[in-house]
Amino acid sequence: MEVKILKETTETVVMIEGRVDTVTAPELHEQVSPLWNEAGITLVFDCEKLEYVSSSGLRIILSTHKMVTAKGGKFILRHLTAEVRSVFELTGFSRILTIQ
Amino acid sequence: MIQVTHLKKTYSNGLEVLRDVNATIQKGEVISIIGPSGTGKSTFLRCLNLLERPSGGSIVVDGQDLMSSKTNVPHLRQKMGMVFQNFNLFNHMSIMDNLCIGPVKLLGKSRKEAEQRAIELLEMVGLAEKAKAMPSQLSGGQKQRIAIARCLSMEPEIILFDEPTSALDPTMVSEVLGVIRSLAQQGMTMVIVTHEMRFARDVSTRIFYMDQGIVYEEGTPEEIFEHPQKERTRVFINRIRDYCYSIHSPKYDLYQLQAGMMQFCQRYFLSQPVQFRVQLLTEEVLQLVPLDKGEVDLALRYSEKNETVSLELLMPVGIVSVLKDKSRQPDELSMSIVEGLCSAMTEVVEDYPEGPRVRVQFELAKI
Repeated sequence: MEVKILKETTETVVMIEGRVDTVTAPELHEQVSPLWNEAGITLVFDCEKLEYVSSSGLRIILSTHKMVTAKGGKFILRHLTAEVRSVFELTGFSRILTIQ
Repeated sequence: MIQVTHLKKTYSNGLEVLRDVNATIQKGEVISIIGPSGTGKSTFLRCLNLLERPSGGSIVVDGQDLMSSKTNVPHLRQKMGMVFQNFNLFNHMSIMDNLCIGPVKLLGKSRKEAEQRAIELLEMVGLAEKAKAMPSQLSGGQKQRIAIARCLSMEPEIILFDEPTSALDPTMVSEVLGVIRSLAQQGMTMVIVTHEMRFARDVSTRIFYMDQGIVYEEGTPEEIFEHPQKERTRVFINRIRDYCYSIHSPKYDLYQLQAGMMQFCQRYFLSQPVQFRVQLLTEEVLQLVPLDKGEVDLALRYSEKNETVSLELLMPVGIVSVLKDKSRQPDELSMSIVEGLCSAMTEVVEDYPEGPRVRVQFELAKI
């Protein structure tokens, strides 16, 4: 898994490439959790190159959503592939999260 | 008609082919013997007419013990015709001579009587015009039909077929099966070792599934093909392919496991979405199972017949309650993914020599 964080003028984009599973999820947590403290942030996870996500990744995504919105920010998921989207639909996360 | 009890066959090199075969065959029955290669199907058939000498047990035909020294074996053999995979025709004789030699020499018929019957039989197998031909002039399917006619010329009470179509070109299989089918309709008692599952299902009154040197499961075609009761029968009937992996500790290699599974999926041309779901199901299921309580054997199974994919875990007893306990955190999410991915989940406790183990099966929902 590779994570790139791009701070743009209106939003912060986290580009995730590869797999987020039990092995790589701690690394994702480590990289994105510092962003949770930024009040009013618009945080985007760009999942165009995210090939696979399991519950380990979903937990981090859900925590990110909770922390960011608690501090008045916005959390958005963008460019999900059909397979990754199916995991969000399966778990009902697609109803809670903003997916573009 | 035939009662087989505790039949054993061990070759001189110690290879035990038949371990303990028990079977009863009644007059008018059509028994198909199916099963994987090397499980003793042909050996069993050959023991029935003493082409192979059993190492133990008994075969009683119409009240006569085949193994008894007092039994007139040639006479008993006449009651049991045999059709072989490779036809075994006399290649230096015409078709008519092939059909007449037995009745004349062993049944004491006149040549005229034998020829008259031979013509009837050749008509029955659709080869009346080949009476004067030599075996070398016939196709494989025609040779096998002649072999059946020759067998019938000896007026057997039962016919044993040893893989009668396995040496044939696929285009010739149906002509031979057609003849066997018509014999079944006439009420001929037959025992057929075959790999033609559809034929076995259509023509048989009972199926013997042989495995591990025994008649592992027997039943009507519907029982065996639709509702097989035993694991190995199910695997064989549903043409189940599997990929197995053993997990010895919580620090198992997830990537090695999933790479093996993907290779397996690709081998059987499973779609990308299915491959994705197989990976997800495996990872989530393994989050639900405490991997520090003993070895977990995992099998990804694909049924070519039903086109279904399932994941099976064989684990020490005691893990069941963990799987069923949905309130256990942080696995609630894993459980909801597993439930979303699967159309069925079953759990059974099975006995093994080393003690009971739990078998849990997750059937992936079709997309």
